[in-house]
This record gives sequence, C-alpha cells and structure tokens, in this order.
Amino acid sequence: MTTNRGAVLRALSFRNISAVYIFVAMFAVFSLWIPEKFLQPGVWRSLLDAEALTGLAALAALIPLVAGSLNLAVGAQVGFSAILSAWLLSRAGLPIALQLPAVLLAGAAIGLVTGLVITRLRVEPIIATLGMSSILLAGMAWISGSQQILDLGPDYRWIATGQLGGVTFPVYILLAVAVASWYVLERTPVGRRMYSAGFNPEAARLAGVHVERLRVGALVAGGAIAALAGALLTSRINAGDPTVGPSFLLPALTAVFLGSTQFKGGRFNVWGTIISMYVLAVGIKGLQLAGSPRWVNDLFYGLALILAVALSQWERTARRGSAVGRVLRGIGRRPDGGRS
Amino acid sequence: MTGAAAAPLLRVIDLVKAFPDLVALDRVSLRVEAGEVVAVVGHNGSGKSTLVKILAGVHRADGGMVETAPGTELHFIHQDLGLVGELTAAENLALAKGTGPASVAPSRGRTERERTRALIGRFGPVFDVDVPVRGLTPAQRAVVAISRALDGWTHPANVIVLDEPTESLHRGEVDVLFDAVRRVAADGAGVVFVSHRLDEVLSLADRVVVLRDGRKVADEPVARIDRRRLVELITGRADVSSPRVRDRRGEGEVVLSVRGLRGATIERLDLDLRAGEVVGVAGVLGSGREAVPSLLAGATAADAERFTVSETAYPRRSPARSMRRGIAFVPGDRGRLGAVRDLTARENVTLPQLRTLTGPLGWVRTGAERAEAGALMREYDVRPARTEQRFALFSGGNQQKLVMARALRDRPAVVLLDEPTQGVDIGAKATIYEAVERAAAGGAAVLVSSSDAKELLRICDRVVVLREGRVAAELSGAELREPRLVAESYGLA
Repeated sequence: MTTNRGAVLRALSFRNISAVYIFVAMFAVFSLWIPEKFLQPGVWRSLLDAEALTGLAALAALIPLVAGSLNLAVGAQVGFSAILSAWLLSRAGLPIALQLPAVLLAGAAIGLVTGLVITRLRVEPIIATLGMSSILLAGMAWISGSQQILDLGPDYRWIATGQLGGVTFPVYILLAVAVASWYVLERTPVGRRMYSAGFNPEAARLAGVHVERLRVGALVAGGAIAALAGALLTSRINAGDPTVGPSFLLPALTAVFLGSTQFKGGRFNVWGTIISMYVLAVGIKGLQLAGSPRWVNDLFYGLALILAVALSQWERTARRGSAVGRVLRGIGRRPDGGRS
Repeated sequence: MTGAAAAPLLRVIDLVKAFPDLVALDRVSLRVEAGEVVAVVGHNGSGKSTLVKILAGVHRADGGMVETAPGTELHFIHQDLGLVGELTAAENLALAKGTGPASVAPSRGRTERERTRALIGRFGPVFDVDVPVRGLTPAQRAVVAISRALDGWTHPANVIVLDEPTESLHRGEVDVLFDAVRRVAADGAGVVFVSHRLDEVLSLADRVVVLRDGRKVADEPVARIDRRRLVELITGRADVSSPRVRDRRGEGEVVLSVRGLRGATIERLDLDLRAGEVVGVAGVLGSGREAVPSLLAGATAADAERFTVSETAYPRRSPARSMRRGIAFVPGDRGRLGAVRDLTARENVTLPQLRTLTGPLGWVRTGAERAEAGALMREYDVRPARTEQRFALFSGGNQQKLVMARALRDRPAVVLLDEPTQGVDIGAKATIYEAVERAAAGGAAVLVSSSDAKELLRICDRVVVLREGRVAAELSGAELREPRLVAESYGLA
C-alpha cells in the first residue's frame, strides 16, 4: 500500500507541482540572464502587488468553472466594474462607503443575469459569457464615453496603494478571498456539491444536488469577486480606464487551467490557481525586464494556456498509460494491488 | 476464406498487460478460427475488458502479440456502443464509411436512411432513424451499433468482437442478435463474444475461454462444459445464483402510493409499495419498465392523480425532495448517471447527505467522513476498499456496490432500483441481492426494474408486468414463475 515515502515522492513529483519546478527553472534562467534587474526586492514587491488583481480575476473565473461554467466574461466584468466604480465616485458623487458595496452588488447582479441566462434560457456557458462579455464592453464604452474617468477624489487611491508591513492591501484582500474560496470549495458540503455539479451535472442532480442553483450562485460569487478586482483596479491606477479590464481574461483563465494540474490531480483548485498565476507573472516580468516587446505577453499567455490544458489532459491519460510511471510505481506491488 | 481456413483468423499469443496496481493479463493466449464463435467470460477485473481494449488498440500490450490472418479486419461492438449521441442512427452508420476522397463527397441522406432502415430491419422492428441516438432506448442503440459493425463488409473472413452487447437487450432482441451473429459466423467470420450472461454464452458459443485474475483458466468446447462448471471456473467456487426460497413477507404499511402516474413511456400506472417488500417491474423494450424508477424518484417529469409518501401528498417532485422524503434512487445508466466519475469513492458515497458530517462553520469533518465511507465500503465488499480512489477507476461491479451503498446509507424508506445488476459480475450480484434483502428486512419498500427475469424471480415478492406503458399483470406467490412472467411480458398469456 501507500508508503510515506511514496506519498512524499508523489507530492513532490513534477506532475503534482509542475508550476513550482517551472518557477525554479525560470528563476534560475532570469537570475543568470539579467541578475541586476531581476534580483531586486522592489521588483518582487511590485509583482506581488500588481498581480493581486489578476489573482482575484482568476478566482472569479475559478469558482464558476468548478460548478461547470467556463466564464469568458471575467475580463469584461473586471473592466465594467472598474469603470462603474470610477463613474459612481466622480459622476454620481457617491461616498466610498456606498460606492464599494454598490459596485460589488452590481458585479453580483451581472453574475446573476449570466447564471439565469445559462440555467433558464439553457444557453451554453461559453456562449452566454461570450455574449455577456460583449454587452459589458458596450456598457463600459457607454458609461465612460470611451474616455478615462479621472477625477476620483483624493481618498480612493489609498485602498489599493496603502501598505501594511511593506505589502499593499490588495495582497491581503486576495489572501482573504482565496482563503474563503478555498474553505467553501474544499471544506464544506456546498463546495463538494459544486465540484459534483461541474463534473457531472446529471448524476449530481440525481444525488439530490441543486445543480442550477449552485451554478447561479457560483456565477454570483464570481461576479462579486470580479467587481472587487475592478474596484481595486480603478483605485490602483487612480482612474477609470476602459482599456485595462479585458486584458485580465487570459492571465486569469491560464492560471485557473494551469492551477488545475497542480496539487489536486486535475481538479480546479484555489491554491494551484494562485501559485500558477504568480509563476506565470514571474515569467512575464522576467521577459519584460529582459527587454522583450509587449506582444510577448500575449504570446506567453497564449502558449501557457494551451500548454496548461495539454498538461491536464496528459495527467488524465498518463494515470493509466505512462510506461515510466508504471515501472516506478509498480515496484514492490503484488498483482492483487491494494487489497489490504 | 474457407479454402485457406487452416490458419486461424485471429491469434493472441501470451499477451501480458500490467497496470500500476495489478497485472490485468498474464500470458493469455487465444485463437479464433473462421466460422467460430469464441466466448470470453470472467468476473469484472478478470482481464476480459483489458483483452478487448488491447485488440481494439486502446491499450498497448506489455508483452505477447496479436496476429490476424492477411486481409482480416477486426470489428468491435463495445459495451458503451461507441455511438455519437448527437447524431441520428443513419448518420452514425454513415460515420464509419466515406473515408479518403469520399469523405468530402456530398452525403446522400435519403439513401443512407433507407440503408439504415434495411440494416436495422434485420434485427426487428424499424424505429425512427432520424432522431439523435441519444434519445433512443439502450436496446435500440445497441441495434444501431450492431448494424454499423456488420455494415459494408467486403468479404466475410473478418473477426467481430462483441463486448457485452446484450447488457441492455431483452430476450427477444438477444435472439435476433444471436441469429445475426450465427449467420455471420456461418459465412466464415470469426466471433469473439464477451459476456457475463452464462446462458447466452452456452447457447451461442462454440468454445469458451474463461479468465480469472488475468489468467486463462479454461479453453474448452462448449459441449464439454455446463453452467455449473462454468460458474465454478469463473468464481473458483460453487454456483451462487441458485434461486432463494422466497418467504412471503407480512403486509407492511403502504409507504409510497401512486394513482394515474403518467410520464415518459408510462401511460398510466397505479402502484402501492409496502414496507418490507420487494416489488419487481418487468416488461419488454418499450413497455415503460425502464421509466418507472426514475418517474417515482422525481428524476423525470410526470403527472399523477395522486402521489403520496407515507400518506402525505408529494406534489412537486425532484430528486432532492425525494431524498428528503426517504426515497433513494439507483439509476440504470451507472457510468453516466449513477455517480460522479471524477470524484473519489468517499466523495460519491457521502454526496447526497453531508449534514451529519459537518462541524462548526459548516466544514466537512474529513476524518469522520473517511471512516464512514470506509465502513460502508467494507460492508458492501467494495474492492479495493480505498476511499480516496477515483470512482472511475473501480470496476463495474464495484462501482455498482458503491452506488448501492450510497443509496442505502441513510436507511431510506423507499429504494428504487433500475437494472441494479446490469454489467455486473456474479460476485457483485450476490452482494447487491444481499443488500436488497437487508434493506427490505429492515423495513424499506424496494422496487426493482429489471430486464432479467431470473433476477426478478429471485429477489421479488411480487412482480408488476408492464406492456405499452400500462400494467398488464401482477404476479405473486405461485403465479410468479418464469414462463408466466415472459408470457405476460409479450402479451401471450
């Protein structure tokens, strides 16, 4: 049966924590290539800080995906919420204490509408969210007039730039949201049912799971988290910028898919997503510091997304097929396997 | 062809296949001559599925080889049939053809449909070939798959591999299929027939190969073997499927009562289920038999004049509400509906009810959950009893034991079973029958819908026979005999 040593080896295997190995490899490459730029504490602090919003966007994509809805509108949701929060502050003149809850509610409402389109109108999630994404982009342009919204007042900036122990607030917010998401997804009955609804909705329904309710709920939660990311984005750049939000989609989805290959053997999961997101960000940062042109970002994320999904497929089939794995794992096993 | 028939069509020599946890095939050899039907039988986990998968090229063997005579092709009908659910029967048949340049030629819908109808007609009544096969009954899907495998052979010296094709067929259809198989064999084809159903094996095969734990334990002409011997070879012990002595249970309270139930293929059903009894539902394909458990469980939409559980009206039905009322449902399509394949055994078993396993702040107490799942797996003899193994990695029989364990976990008042032993080996069958007995003895009302008459006779107190969506007969006591049951099913009584 499983020995302790076997369990440790499996936990440390490339298949289980490939992102960590990729990180080590990238770290080594960039440290040797551009040590004077790459090995600066400031670089790492700004990375931690800047990518916290990507992390939130990734969680906003992760939660609906666990329950079975691939959300292609995450970027637009972040962007729309960013513009909305700027507009509420500058044009509607709401105080921050009202503006933030309003943005989160609006984000949740967007998730609700998406969820109802998917469950009631029976539109495939990928189509529903693609359509929703376009609608939100239109909404952003309408609200902002395709211009930056600038006059946000002096206090709002503090939310995303204030620091505690040298680390900005968004990092703590991401940590809090990640812990809460992890808790719900992996430690509660609701999370269990969400996974079952995502894996096999029909079997889950027959097991008494309210599949549609969970799907809608997951999109509402994802919408609120995306809105939080949007509000922080506006605070961070101290302006409502209609061009920034949509660019969150690819890094977020890439992190979620690469994350699914980490730790949990093919399941979408919170910590895999967060780790993958930062590993990918380190790669991008290193390339930028090395002086690559901006389009390398898109190239990098596109390749990473495809590789991440390919990796998860490989993981699925390799469980049975890999000759090397069989040789390694078959040693010392008797034909009757694990019957204790 | 017959002239050169000295060489076998298919030769399997010393095949070895090892998985991380077990040796699935241990030097298995096999030969199929032209015109011969070779049955391969064995428990779940005996290695017969692995053998088929290697022949089909799904797995690669670790040792040994597979040889075919020159020009001989292998054709497969797998248990899951390999049909594209969204395509119609005609389109599924056309899929295998038109490769190469022909694949971009316009398809001729009308001709294809007529061909399909003609092919299907060989197996019995022709059904609608223009609806997606997903909407057909399992038996109709099997007919489509079989038609496809036999379609368009250029010469007869091929080998057809039937991997448990009769799982969802009723007796009459099995006979039609067997006639077709015999005809193909008589023309000079070789047939490999993999099945759990020993009676079928004995009636169809010329030779029987028995696998146990990855080894070949027998390879004999069917004439030299009988059912008892076959069971001994498969299990390594004596026959376990002898009919039990049915002790008529006392009249319990009516737990579930329906009047005028109507939905899916059921026109009208009146039924009372009493505590402590096992009620069978029999009927041929299209009788509505397969719809009953799912309608009663609220999984399929249905109208009813009256639907009460423990004398309380139950108007708006859903699986979740049924569960709260103590109605457990085991669907027939285990792979698709029975459980969530990508969750572990533990997660599947506890999925319907996690309330008793949660601590403060609503977390799941994993230790307690693991202990409970482990205890259930041992109680239902699930092998291996590993709570953290993914459901998909268990063999068919053990999957079904898990699904049963889940259904019976909270001592439901009503247990609805659809084909509870379909595609399950003899050992698992015995475990499942025991579980049914125990549930009934514990006061549950059990309903079993099954295409297997012997199964109903063995475990049921009474059997409701359906025909064309209505109750045709109800048999119990001395009337509950196989000839009568079959006669009523076909409307011959």
